[in-house]
Amino acid sequence: MPQGSQNHSYWRSLAELSGDPQFEGFLKAEFPHAADLTGLNRRRWLQLMGASLALAAATGCRWEKEEFRPFAVRPLNRLPGVPKRYATAMDLGGMAIGLHVTSYDGRPIKVEGNPKHPHSQGATDVFAQASILELYDPERNRPLRRQGPQGTTHHTWEEFAAFVRGLLADIRGNGAKGLAILSPASSSPTLAGLRKRLTTELPNARWYEFESVSYDNLRDGARQAFGEPWRTQLDLAPAQVIVTLDADLLSQYPAAMRHARDFSQGRTAVAGKMNRLYAIEPCYSLTGAMADHRLPLSSGDVAAFAAALEEAVNALLSGKTPAPDPSPHFPFLMAVAKDLVAHSGRCVAVAGPRQPADVHATLHRLNAMLGNVGKTVSYTADPHPERPSHVEALRALAQTMQTGDVQTLVVLGGNPAYDAPGDLKFAEALKSVPTSIHLGLYEDETSRLCTWHVPQSHWLESWGDARAWDGAYSICQPLIDPLFGGHSAIELAALLLDERRTPQQLVRETFAAIARQSETEAAWARTLHDGLLAGSAAPIEKPTLLPPAPRKSAPLPNGTWTGPELEVIFSCDASVYDGRFANNAWLQELPDPLTKLAWDNALLLAPTTAERLGVRHGGVVTVCYRQQTLDAPVFVMPGMAAGCVALPLGYGRTSAGAVGGDLASGVAPVGVNANLLRHSQAVDFDGRLTLELTDRTVELATTQDHHAIDTVGQNATQQRAEVLARQATLEHYHAHPDFAQHMVHQPPLFSLWEEHQYQGRRWGMAIDLSRCVGCNACMVACQAENNVPVVGKTQVLRGREMHWLRVDRYFQGPPEAPGVIHQPVACQQCEMAPCEQVCPVAATVHSQEGLNDMVYNRCVGTRYCSNNCPYKVRRFNYLNFHKDLDDPANEVKKMAYNPEVTVRMRGVMEKCTYCVQRIQAAKILAKNRRRDLADGEIRTACQQVCPTQAIVFGDLSLPDSGVAAAHKSDRAYGMLGEMNFRPRTAYLARIRNPNPELEGPVA
Amino acid sequence: MSTLDLRSADNTGNDPTRRAALVIGHHDYASVTQLVSQLAERSRTPLAWYVAFAVSAAWAGLFFLLIGYLVFTGVGVWGNNRPVGWAFDIVNFVFWVGIGHAGTLISAILFLFRQRWRTSINRAAEAMTVFAVICAAVYPGVHIGRAWLAYWLAPYPNQMQIWPNFRSPLLWDVFAVSTYFTLSLLFWYLGMIPDLATLRDRAQSRLKRFIYGVFALGWRGSARAWHVYETAYLLLAALATPLVLSVHSVVSFDFAVSVLPGWHTTIFPPYFVAGAIFSGFAMVVTLMVPARAWFGLKDLITLRHLENMNKVILATGCMVGYAYGIEFFIAWYGGNPYEQFAFLNRALGPYAWAYWIMVTCNVAVPQLLWMKSWRTTPWKMMIVAILVNVGMWFERFVIIVISLTRDFLPSNWGAYSPTWVDLGMFAGSFGLFFMLFLLFCRWLPMVAMAEVKTVLPHPEN
Repeated sequence: MPQGSQNHSYWRSLAELSGDPQFEGFLKAEFPHAADLTGLNRRRWLQLMGASLALAAATGCRWEKEEFRPFAVRPLNRLPGVPKRYATAMDLGGMAIGLHVTSYDGRPIKVEGNPKHPHSQGATDVFAQASILELYDPERNRPLRRQGPQGTTHHTWEEFAAFVRGLLADIRGNGAKGLAILSPASSSPTLAGLRKRLTTELPNARWYEFESVSYDNLRDGARQAFGEPWRTQLDLAPAQVIVTLDADLLSQYPAAMRHARDFSQGRTAVAGKMNRLYAIEPCYSLTGAMADHRLPLSSGDVAAFAAALEEAVNALLSGKTPAPDPSPHFPFLMAVAKDLVAHSGRCVAVAGPRQPADVHATLHRLNAMLGNVGKTVSYTADPHPERPSHVEALRALAQTMQTGDVQTLVVLGGNPAYDAPGDLKFAEALKSVPTSIHLGLYEDETSRLCTWHVPQSHWLESWGDARAWDGAYSICQPLIDPLFGGHSAIELAALLLDERRTPQQLVRETFAAIARQSETEAAWARTLHDGLLAGSAAPIEKPTLLPPAPRKSAPLPNGTWTGPELEVIFSCDASVYDGRFANNAWLQELPDPLTKLAWDNALLLAPTTAERLGVRHGGVVTVCYRQQTLDAPVFVMPGMAAGCVALPLGYGRTSAGAVGGDLASGVAPVGVNANLLRHSQAVDFDGRLTLELTDRTVELATTQDHHAIDTVGQNATQQRAEVLARQATLEHYHAHPDFAQHMVHQPPLFSLWEEHQYQGRRWGMAIDLSRCVGCNACMVACQAENNVPVVGKTQVLRGREMHWLRVDRYFQGPPEAPGVIHQPVACQQCEMAPCEQVCPVAATVHSQEGLNDMVYNRCVGTRYCSNNCPYKVRRFNYLNFHKDLDDPANEVKKMAYNPEVTVRMRGVMEKCTYCVQRIQAAKILAKNRRRDLADGEIRTACQQVCPTQAIVFGDLSLPDSGVAAAHKSDRAYGMLGEMNFRPRTAYLARIRNPNPELEGPVA
Repeated sequence: MSTLDLRSADNTGNDPTRRAALVIGHHDYASVTQLVSQLAERSRTPLAWYVAFAVSAAWAGLFFLLIGYLVFTGVGVWGNNRPVGWAFDIVNFVFWVGIGHAGTLISAILFLFRQRWRTSINRAAEAMTVFAVICAAVYPGVHIGRAWLAYWLAPYPNQMQIWPNFRSPLLWDVFAVSTYFTLSLLFWYLGMIPDLATLRDRAQSRLKRFIYGVFALGWRGSARAWHVYETAYLLLAALATPLVLSVHSVVSFDFAVSVLPGWHTTIFPPYFVAGAIFSGFAMVVTLMVPARAWFGLKDLITLRHLENMNKVILATGCMVGYAYGIEFFIAWYGGNPYEQFAFLNRALGPYAWAYWIMVTCNVAVPQLLWMKSWRTTPWKMMIVAILVNVGMWFERFVIIVISLTRDFLPSNWGAYSPTWVDLGMFAGSFGLFFMLFLLFCRWLPMVAMAEVKTVLPHPEN
């Protein structure tokens, strides 16, 4: 220690004080840290101590503690990483489909149909498939909030419950006068029971039911025909002749999936017999696309056609010849009438939900006349016969609200502020209600106007029950705790009754009542397990027809459109339904089955109509209708009836969310809102619409025909569609059963190199075009199964959509009345795959079982494989399509991913591999159990979801496998087979069954 | 020197009794050395050079900035899509590789064929080749989705125990282009060694002497050195000659080996090589016409040189035109409906404008060169050469993009339009090219002095 140290004040020994070098050496050697103990001054000491204290305290700052709790005892039947399936049901528009939901370690990731359920029969529609994305939508994460004079406050459910109880205590005395409840259609018997109790206990409370896409015209038609709103149950399986009047039986109809299955069974022509479908409709539907004969007819003319059909059939049945009519549609009508009469008792005529009651009544009489009742048509009771129709109920509610008679409005789901017909001014009326409570999955247009928003639990998160169209009873069991703390409609309804039992207890009580037995644990467990209560379908009734009201016989429409005024049709959208799925990116990006339009709606009108009006595809027009105007783009759609425009509902949402449009956060709405035009007197269709041209145009994001096509391209498309998606009439097929194999000259094929040798399994697929109705369910199923990203409208416009499986749609014939064929195309797993040869890094290789494997880790993204793929089924990640996951708020989205499938990064090519993860899972299982794989044990996601069982997958090396049989079918052909790619997917040519009486390419 | 010798100023005559002079203006060894060396020795750089350099360097800078943007954001910043997986990236790649053909052809093939007129232009043409191949090579490197893994295309032993797929033409491409680049660079450098030594010997500053000295590799001009040097040069020329044909043949395999209608064509290798020489010579003319004027090299790069090049352009232009015709014939004769449509679609489809620009520029415009005045008037040949370059760019666009937009299944058909990044990178690659060429003009001997001296006319008296 230097003697002269100014800070020197303490010493440890005399030797140190004297600065003895020997001591210093010793000290340095022994205690190197202590050797330099210069005296600290006060400031330094305080600095050091302060810093130490601060650092010591900082160790107490931690991230929020996460607790991982292992299962000390493994729950019964649960193995980590092994998926489990639970049966449940989803209710859409008051009709349930039974489902099986796959759950990985407690998180549902995939929805499948419940094979035992009469409505789904193992398949699902697009909405059920996409509900997984809805479940994990972070935008459902909104607090229970109250918007009052003090501003917005957040509350717990208990606080809200206390508020509701207080509110009800005040009004209970006068029977809850001023309380109104608005619910969407629901098939839940538990909710119906609560509703009944509520109207009894609170006699002055009013309960209204509204659906924007409503099937109430069916009820009204039955009421007109029978005096009671009987439900029509169709059985298409025995039907030899099916006539649809503006009815999309196969996709937008009660029990549509069941009809699609039954219909497709009659299309295979295996026994030489096929059903025949006539579609008379204003805008192209999937049913029209499957029709053997399709007549474009405006909605307003359908009634006259139905009446004429009834008369013609009546005349034919009584042996008379109907009086000829000058209308050009008369031969068509006569052919239909004769065909119906020839197949009395084995035919059916159905009108669609947009058609007014008298058309339905006419067809009820027609079916009875033809002896179809009890065979293809039967009737069951309506579960709620006394309720007014949806639009009447909403009109009544809106009027009550406007007069100020509603003090408290409880909206049990639904979004009436958006989807109420524009003339009801529902949103304005809602603002004047003092207390309004909205239960909703999202903070939507309605909840923004309500004083309370209560987050709703998803159907995968809550207990409930539901009935299918035929009355079959299912229990909805939750697969996961409410992610964002929501509550179900049952819970809220129970709260209004001050009912303290849990929803599960309420459902069990309902179950006991329905099961008509003391509710045993076993019966409950069996119903839960099966997803269905056996024998719970509604009993078949035999209603008697009322004598028809005298009717002035209207002439058949002459099939020409004269006026500048157009008929407008408000159609249910194939992707977003009535708008409730607007924030579901899978569905927004799902192209419409017929227009192939994604991320938008547009005014659909026929080419001839467009030409006459001078409007162009993509041009924006101003729609004028009943003093309302709306700007919308035009989509020229072949097959529309002349003088009709269709505008799909469900778009133009202003508070849907980041996907569907949210003006509050600057997200422009997707498409235009047709509800603004809709009038409560004419919610389905109406005349008197005019168009004004503007000079604006928009780009419509279609996934096919990305741009207006020129003559050269159009000619080639026509020629190629014939050989790519092959079809023939039944007559031709009988004469030339192998026509499909001879549509293209197939030269002897040689390969340049040694071909792959397959010792064991050879995976293959077959897609039956006779069965495929083009419903898109396979596309969403594939997206959900394989973690396929969504890219957004701008990227779709650039042609970068990622769907591994797409459904190609080809028109054929004249644009006024074209035929349509759908063809699902995924990777064909070519044996001589052109992609494999050109990949420089061997990232796509052939497996020993014949799969064209894609090694994402190895792919560097040259895109050569995509260029060389003749089917263009490879998808490239041009950008980081998972960028949304960077936002911590979107963390929950990751839960939707299938853990068995890699999430691909930017710059990587991806494609279908026949759900290789499912193949592997089944192989592992079979190997562990030391058995062989059974045929049909592995089902690809697209196959499993297909309502018509058009897709078959399996092992081609087994001679008796279903897929091998399909490949051996005389209808089987390989797309571009003449090029020696050897696709493993075979297509079975479509057989159509036109009426020989109707000449020409009507369909 | 005071009176103008008309006969020697115009050496474009075709009088068989007179061998046309390849150097005019009564130059001797010293004046040739002086003429060329002074360009690299100038102590003050002209302002025009700075301006030109700044402009091209700015574009080159943009090029690299956009590459950064591309790599960090994804290939989606371009207009590529499905079905058009390759667009401006590969169009520009093939365009630049094609331009890079003239240099080696002039250096190697014309050397072997004893075409002595090559000596005045070979240096600049080789430099152009090297720079064009640099521009070209950038594209395949960055056009892939995961550019940071581009080295996986190289066959090297690795822990993954995986080799690249030797059946893929892209891999052949990697070998072909890298070999070509290496050899072109070597050839250029080897030819420059005696001239670098000259610059070294004449250098005024120590730094220049040192740098030129290092690159001159101790050249002293001894007879033995010359002997070894010329043997090496001949060998390299012999090695480079097949490469001239192979590189663009291999590039064409990227397309010919595929199954895409419009790509799958056996005519591609010769057709691509002819097109490459065509575009390469057009680019040499485009560069040489202004360069010989600005740098006072008209005596060395004479009108006869330019006329010879224009003759090559005319010949290759006719070959290209023939190829266009035969493609259509084979499409018809082959009877494959998909191929027939691909060609019909080129000529009449939505991108017909691109096809007809191509035909006009590549087939019609070069026919002007049948006229002597177009072959020997600098501004006229400049017009032709620039249009040929435009046409050849469109040829690649037509082949690559139009074929991809419409392949087998009509449901897959799409369209392509470039984004600003596509256009910016295209312009930026020109910036890079001109920047490198300007550096070459400033610091290196633009004309092969040593070789030119061998073709000096012998003193007449």
